[in-house]
Amino acid sequence: MMINPVLLKEIKVKMRSWKAVGIIGGYLLILAAVALFITYANASDMYSSTINPQFSIGAYTGIAIIQFILILFIAPALTAGAIAGERERQTLDLILCTKLAPRSIILGKLLASMSHILILIIASIPMFSIVFLYGGISVVEIAQLFGFYIVTAIMAGSIGIFFSTYVKKTIAATVLTYALGIFMCFGTLFIAVFYIRIFYNYNYQSYFPLFYINPLAGFSSLLTEQFGGQYGGILNMIPGLYMVNPLNVKGTAPWLINTYVNIGISVVMLFLAAIKINPTRRGIFFFLKRK
Amino acid sequence: MLEIKNLHKRYGKFYAVNGLDLSIPEGEIFGFVGPNGAGKSTTMKIICGLLTATSGEITVDGVDALRHNNKIKEDIGYMPDFFGVYDDLKVDEYLDFYASVYKVKDANKNKMITDLLELVDLGNKRDAYVDNLSRGMKQRLCLARSLIHNPKLLILDEPASGLDPRARVEMKAILRNLKDMGKTILISSHILSELAEMCTSIGIIDNGKIVISGTVTEIMQQIYSKKLIKIKVNDKLEEAVTILKEFPFIDKITTGENQIQAAFDGGEEDMSRVLYSLVTRSIPVATFAQLDGNLEDVFMKVTKGGEEQ
Ligand SMILES: Nc1ncnc2c1ncn2[C@@H]1O[C@H](COP(=O)(O)OP(=O)(O)O)[C@@H](O)[C@H]1O
Ligand SMILES: [Mg+2]
Repeated sequence: MMINPVLLKEIKVKMRSWKAVGIIGGYLLILAAVALFITYANASDMYSSTINPQFSIGAYTGIAIIQFILILFIAPALTAGAIAGERERQTLDLILCTKLAPRSIILGKLLASMSHILILIIASIPMFSIVFLYGGISVVEIAQLFGFYIVTAIMAGSIGIFFSTYVKKTIAATVLTYALGIFMCFGTLFIAVFYIRIFYNYNYQSYFPLFYINPLAGFSSLLTEQFGGQYGGILNMIPGLYMVNPLNVKGTAPWLINTYVNIGISVVMLFLAAIKINPTRRGIFFFLKRK
Repeated sequence: MLEIKNLHKRYGKFYAVNGLDLSIPEGEIFGFVGPNGAGKSTTMKIICGLLTATSGEITVDGVDALRHNNKIKEDIGYMPDFFGVYDDLKVDEYLDFYASVYKVKDANKNKMITDLLELVDLGNKRDAYVDNLSRGMKQRLCLARSLIHNPKLLILDEPASGLDPRARVEMKAILRNLKDMGKTILISSHILSELAEMCTSIGIIDNGKIVISGTVTEIMQQIYSKKLIKIKVNDKLEEAVTILKEFPFIDKITTGENQIQAAFDGGEEDMSRVLYSLVTRSIPVATFAQLDGNLEDVFMKVTKGGEEQ
């Protein structure tokens, strides 16, 4: 099998730069600081016994949330320059005039950024294993968490790549990606709150449909399902998110549907990006124009 | 090798390429000359599949280039009018990347890179970062990149622009080598003299159309009847110019360092009269020669003063 050359090159260049070392170092520092903070904050509960599942669930939730937020911040930054940067360096035409398919270019860029995120996730494993040793957390739960991380990162990364192809400048693509991200995280929340206030007078007992594109809501739902409202509900301190009450939701867990929606969004974004960079395309609606 | 028929490219109401015809046989170095904005780059990008044509036909080696774009991509090496380098890569990594993109077999890759770096005279820069290369070196590296998959047809967009004279000479030598290797080359420039010496044929493009094309001599015969003379003197340049101005059949006098060029519209006897006057009035004439013609003049005439700024 031939490894995508774009992916290979990106990894080679990115991994030898000091920026990569800086990102990983800074990332681990933040996670470690959070872990320490939680340890001290829980110190008073801890004298009864050294093995304390309550403590480990608290630490797990804390680290999980911080890591999730960091990933949400980093994934767009890694991808928003993917194509716009090639355009700015005037190297895009040089790849496009080769036989490499547009979708390979797009996928290579996405995978390169995802490998970066993967390294961050792997680097955080030691911290999770310490929590794991305290008990109360199962491997399945950690796997669900990492799976949700990766899917969310792919979704955020795909949006970054989408804007990177449709906008000329890296800066503009970055701004638009974060703007859409902020809308997905908080804009949907606002809409939900107003909608529910006006039409239901807060008497709304299910997962608001717009929340399926809200990564925070999905994540909150995941944590709540894993550990119940007490710890998993920490994210619900975000005003409005308290309405996410998966304990009352019947059928498939909301976070699982969020996962599918994320995958769907990613596929659409990457597809549109691949069409856009193909210089000989006949427009996005080429299939309608065919005579 | 390359046939273009009635090519059009429209931007809004404006035709950047407007009914362009071109035919380049195998093994030719074809010079594509025209003022800025004439449509050279646009035409080249369409050939390479980087732009869609509004209408027209292009065949490369018999294959319909507009329809089977992917088939001809391996036959074409394209060097755009900008560098396009990843400055965080080393020279050999840069070439290695494009070799992989073009699916060059691993077994051949290393030899190919070595040979190409040799060809463009960058053999000793293999481990240098692309960022640290000079302009001329980057240009040559880009040329090497366009050759990495051993294409039959090379499309070089203004490869000599922005280079100092020395780098330009080096670039020319490389192109001559490529011709000897049997490549067909389409090379563009907005300066005719840059191409005249190295091209087998030339096509002059203006407003998206080929105005005239053929071998250099054919073009001369077709549109330029006046002769040009070139005189070198060891001293007394101004005096020589004053003398030349006395003759009604001499005009368009231009001077360089100890050198005069002028258009000449007379017979053999007139020619000897000019030389006689110069010598008898003690101008130290070193050489006195008739030129085949100056392509730059042809160009100016053909493009109707298409010179800008
Ligand atoms: N994307 C575009 N939109 C509108 N006009 C364009 C575009 N690209 C090029 N042009 C116009 O097409 C003409 C031909 O450009 P070009 O092929 O780059 O000329 P050349 O390479 O001969 O200098 C120019 O007048 C240019 O302004
Ligand atoms: Mg041009």
